[in-house]
Amino acid sequence: MRALRAWLLRFGGLFARTRRDRDLAEEIDSHLQLHIEDNLQRGMTPAEARRQALIKLGGVEQTKERYRDRRGIPFLETLLQDIRFGLRMLRKSPGFTAVAVLTLALGIGANTAIFSLLDGLVFRDLPVPHPGQLVHVAAYSPDDSDSGLSLPMYEEIAHDQKVFSAMFSWEGEGISNVEINGSLTRGDVWPIDGNFYANLGAVPEFGRLIGPQDVDFYSSTPTQVAVLGYDYWRTHFGADRNIVGKTIKIEQTPFTIIGVTRPGFSGMTADVPFEIAVPFTTEPLIEGHIDVQKHLQRRDGLWYDAAGRLKRGVTLEQARAQLESLWPAIRTATLPTSPEQRARFQGLRLKLVADSTGSSYMRGRFSTPLYVLLGISSLVLLIACLNLASLILARAATRSHEMSVRIALGASVWRLGRQLLTESVMLSVVGALVGFALALWGSEVLSRFIFSQTYSVPAGLNLTPDLRILGFATSIAVLTGVLFGLAPALRIFAEDPNAALQQSSRSVDHGTGRLGKGLILTQIGLSLILLADAGLFIRSLEKLLHVDPGFQTQNLVEVQLYPKPGGYKNLNWASYDHQLTDEIANLPGVQSVGLAHMRIGGGNTWREPIERSGTRNSTVMADFVFARPGLFRTLGIRLVRGRTFTWEDNDHAPDVALISESLARTLFPAGDAIGRQIHFPNEPQWKDVQVVGIIANASLYDIRLHAPPTIYLSAIQHGDYSGWPDLVIRTRAAPDRIEGSIQQAVQSIGHEYVWKIRRVSANIDESLIQERITAMLSAFFGALALLIAAIGLYGLVSYNVTRRTRELGIRLALGAQRGAVLRMVLRDALVLTLIGIAMGLPCALAATRLIAHMLFGVTPYDPLTLATIAAALVIVGALAGYIPARRAMSVDPMVVLRHE
Amino acid sequence: MTAKAGGNTNQKPDEEKSEKADVQQGTLALMILKTLDSMGALHGYGIARRIEQTSGNLLSLNYGTLYPALLKLEQEGYIASEWGLSDNNRKAKFYKLTRAGRKQLERKAQDWVQTTAILARFLSPEGERT
Repeated sequence: MRALRAWLLRFGGLFARTRRDRDLAEEIDSHLQLHIEDNLQRGMTPAEARRQALIKLGGVEQTKERYRDRRGIPFLETLLQDIRFGLRMLRKSPGFTAVAVLTLALGIGANTAIFSLLDGLVFRDLPVPHPGQLVHVAAYSPDDSDSGLSLPMYEEIAHDQKVFSAMFSWEGEGISNVEINGSLTRGDVWPIDGNFYANLGAVPEFGRLIGPQDVDFYSSTPTQVAVLGYDYWRTHFGADRNIVGKTIKIEQTPFTIIGVTRPGFSGMTADVPFEIAVPFTTEPLIEGHIDVQKHLQRRDGLWYDAAGRLKRGVTLEQARAQLESLWPAIRTATLPTSPEQRARFQGLRLKLVADSTGSSYMRGRFSTPLYVLLGISSLVLLIACLNLASLILARAATRSHEMSVRIALGASVWRLGRQLLTESVMLSVVGALVGFALALWGSEVLSRFIFSQTYSVPAGLNLTPDLRILGFATSIAVLTGVLFGLAPALRIFAEDPNAALQQSSRSVDHGTGRLGKGLILTQIGLSLILLADAGLFIRSLEKLLHVDPGFQTQNLVEVQLYPKPGGYKNLNWASYDHQLTDEIANLPGVQSVGLAHMRIGGGNTWREPIERSGTRNSTVMADFVFARPGLFRTLGIRLVRGRTFTWEDNDHAPDVALISESLARTLFPAGDAIGRQIHFPNEPQWKDVQVVGIIANASLYDIRLHAPPTIYLSAIQHGDYSGWPDLVIRTRAAPDRIEGSIQQAVQSIGHEYVWKIRRVSANIDESLIQERITAMLSAFFGALALLIAAIGLYGLVSYNVTRRTRELGIRLALGAQRGAVLRMVLRDALVLTLIGIAMGLPCALAATRLIAHMLFGVTPYDPLTLATIAAALVIVGALAGYIPARRAMSVDPMVVLRHE
Repeated sequence: MTAKAGGNTNQKPDEEKSEKADVQQGTLALMILKTLDSMGALHGYGIARRIEQTSGNLLSLNYGTLYPALLKLEQEGYIASEWGLSDNNRKAKFYKLTRAGRKQLERKAQDWVQTTAILARFLSPEGERT
């Protein structure tokens, strides 16, 4: 207790020192006076009395110093003193401080922001208990992207398995019409089983959650209950706590609300909102099937997702081994009845993967760009650190005179070293603090920028800056500060202060030496790498923006339609399609209208293997498109030979197909495509499809693919598979002017309503978001790196000029031309730049090869890009050298020489 | 001066060996407490003189070491200080014992008596024999 009290008081002793010092001085003064008076009384002379008193005391200053040591905490006091002094030094050279702090902050901030985003998107576990135990289980066929389980499969697996403490299943979400209090909205509806919530550790905010009693796989009358997600409840029910027991309608089927989950619960996904959950046994009702059991127990669809929680001590490999040993029997027991499907299902394999991070819509799209950007930003951090190092070195060199003076005045080397260290660490710490602020702001801006251009907003995505990476980046910066702060301190050791003192401060000649030059060269080389990458990304984006997709995108809109509740019941599609397209075509301002079953230019591709009928080894992969009459005319895709689809190509007529020129060339090299028949190995129901026409190449799915082999089937022949079409409209003028009349026309027919109207060009823009983000951010970082390197070069050259002022003065005095001096200094800068470029070029070529797969239309060693970048570097190098060179030129020899 | 401040300064300057070997470690604090106990409130110079006198001038005390020791005792709450006037009307800082200080004095004095008694027995020829 006493010790603590003493320490607290000593800590207090750090403050109000002036007052305390005065107090102490007074006390010692009074002590001396008392002593002197005593001595005088003993008969000493005043001078002797004073001398004796001082001797007895042991020195006024010594006493004060010892007293102060006891009063405060010497270590802290020295530190504070160092910091105060450091701050003063940094304030004295604001340019140096600003550059050092800003470059560090940008390096640290960028890394933290990008890593946080990457972490939130890719690495972060689902917010559920023990996410590491979750394993996703699915059946898949090796030559098909389709994967999942049928309900009979799931039941067999769940019953026989011994490696999971529990299993649960769910179905991917579907966006459905949801009627709340009589008004219609749309919601993400997740069909789940009775173990889902319990296994994910979900807790109700209020009410209860769906449990095993709500999900009976064998009941024909499933329990119609619904659980709402927290955010959905807040936005759609105004956070009303009295909603338990109320009814909502999903596609006209009534559901009773039984509870709301806590905030942050997002099921098995990282970024798809978990809005409404229902027992998956009700899914047939939502889809309008009357025989619930028949639909649920279907064996020919892999519709269900399933996951298990590993038992304690069971590894993923053990689980895989056990389930794979069960799989052949389960597969045989659950085979579908139709012979074609049997063959396909016989080839299914079982796949178990760790699923601690859940599924994500964003992950696939953005992880590669983010990895590349993380690499780029870490190079920026490296450059920033090198820059800090060279700045510290240069400064230390200019301060060697000051250091010598201080040593000569009695400062210990340790004390000076500590001072230098404190200064450089302070720089790093201030840089890190600013960097943290930048990271907070940066990840916010970055994520808003990325997600502003996508359809879905990642509700559950956690993007708080990651403290681990911040700590990592900061420690690198601090380490740089310590290492290079120490270097000059070490030099002081080896130095004879007398020698340094005897030289004038201006003529001291250490230079930043080879180390300093090496640092600058490395910076230039690294920025060349970054600039080369950025240049290639920008060129790719530019090429993509000017690519010809094979159809006109101008004034082309896509109108997404959804059914009104019951709108598709007993609908005669053929006549409805006619009616709808006719009504739209008659609207003023509409040039042409068609129906599409895909998002044009959206970037997602449906591909199918195709073979010529009667052959087995002519397989060709082709983009697969369901088309309707009017689509090609509206898109402006030219018919090359044969005919396009008509309304007569319906389910009563023989199956027909159109193929693109590129597909015709590969599938029928003899040029006899029209009239020939093809079939689909993976879709046995489409056989003997006759090719009736060849149309021009067009990149309907993904504009990155040039002239993709494409096959078109007539959608009205395959109503079961093609789904509901959206409108594609070419307008005469700006499309937004007639949006209202389109909505009205659709509405007035009474079956559907307009959900969204989007320009096709917006689809294409959105599909290029990865390229755009990568190009913009890498350009930003490249420019940043260039700027930092330029500052570094400028600092080095201008330091050298300062150092050589005397030499330059003598040269000028001896008759050197000013132009020659300018050229000499400039040449130094340019030589450094050129060496840097020469060193950086091979590294840049190696680096661009790494990003080759992300480029479009340019090779990773595109000479034009590399030449432009190198030229830009030379110009910047020249500029960085020119400013100090000008100063060198204007040196006045008389002033310099007189100064010596 | 700078060098001193930066060096690994001893946290107990009053016990620094290099200063006065004559005053044994820890004993100065006890002497101060005892002096204040018997004399009442006293200023630093007075304490120093009194210690010297009591020791029969056997002890050569560097007066400067007294002040950090006083500060330490004050920080520990054993003594308190106050500015006042000396006998000859000079402004001086007076120290006096607190209640905690009095207790500490008793405790330490007892310890010291015990220690010296034990040591005395060790050092005396009789003690060696038993």
